[in-house]
Amino acid sequence: SGELYCSLPNPRNVHFESINMKNVLHWSAPEGTGDGVLYKVKYAVYGVGKWIRKPECGNINRTWCDLSSETSDYEEQYYASVKAFLNGACSDWMETTRFNPLTDTKIAPPMVSVSSTDRSISIILTTPEKWKRSPEEESVSLLQVYPGLRYNVSVLNKKTKKRWLFSISNNTLVVPWLEPGTAYCVSAQIRVTTPRLDSGFSK
Amino acid sequence: GACRVSMSLAEIRAGFTAIKADIQSRDPIRTLSILSHPHSLHKVKSSDRCCIAHQLFTFYVDKVFKHCRTEDSFVNRKISSIANSFLSTRRKLGQCREQNNCTCGEESTEKFKQILANYEGLNVTSAAMKSLGELDILLDWMEKSR
Repeated sequence: SGELYCSLPNPRNVHFESINMKNVLHWSAPEGTGDGVLYKVKYAVYGVGKWIRKPECGNINRTWCDLSSETSDYEEQYYASVKAFLNGACSDWMETTRFNPLTDTKIAPPMVSVSSTDRSISIILTTPEKWKRSPEEESVSLLQVYPGLRYNVSVLNKKTKKRWLFSISNNTLVVPWLEPGTAYCVSAQIRVTTPRLDSGFSK
Repeated sequence: GACRVSMSLAEIRAGFTAIKADIQSRDPIRTLSILSHPHSLHKVKSSDRCCIAHQLFTFYVDKVFKHCRTEDSFVNRKISSIANSFLSTRRKLGQCREQNNCTCGEESTEKFKQILANYEGLNVTSAAMKSLGELDILLDWMEKSR
């Protein structure tokens, strides 16, 4: 069918939100349109000549669309675009900036497991996995994606408030010479130096 | 040794990240890439990487940076600092190539010719700005293949 007359205000702030390469397109509704607006989504691999519609995000009324599957090859870069429809009118296609899954994702903190003796703590860190389509799919640790990945580990003596900070590259750490009968708080962060990506500290 | 250029790559990456959105917004052509299509750098054989990396850095130094002027002095300063980092890195890669007698295989030479063809296919300013906007493609490949 021919293009409708596009007088509707445009969707705003069209952008990717990505955590561990789970890449979700988000946008805000056009200004002043209220309820009833529907949206269509398309995406393109940068450097490849065609836009591809995302059927599951055709005529939707929500303002997000999961494009993780379509953008899972992190050796490629992508654009995505959204168009709004209301009462027979439509908006222009509104595009994201160029999205690079490798550098534009956020990394979740590592999982921290702790065991202790009366005078030491043993810490084991587990790096999050890259998003995957289904539980059956083979897991890819972000350690494989970012070979230069390191960890910062914080150990806080809750009584004296004294804190130690360790920067390690392997995922295990033993902290000796601790005070018996004292509570310690252990927290860890992932650091990737290039591209520059830091997770938050684990709870 | 001379092949270890990680410090320079981190500098280049930091400089590029600061201007990436600006530079990429000046490139309206979505359907063509200089570096990544039709051939992906990630398919370059490991034995050819040293040679291709040196050729790519030479390509940027000789063909790209000189055509990347903008009206924004902050962006221009970042571009010239990136260009300077490229000059020193290219020198190291050149030494690496000599010391290790790196040669470019036929397949990789073909890839590099394709990159030049992609570049020549656009007017020089568009080609240079697009190439600059693809620095993260080059950096991702170099860091991954370290």
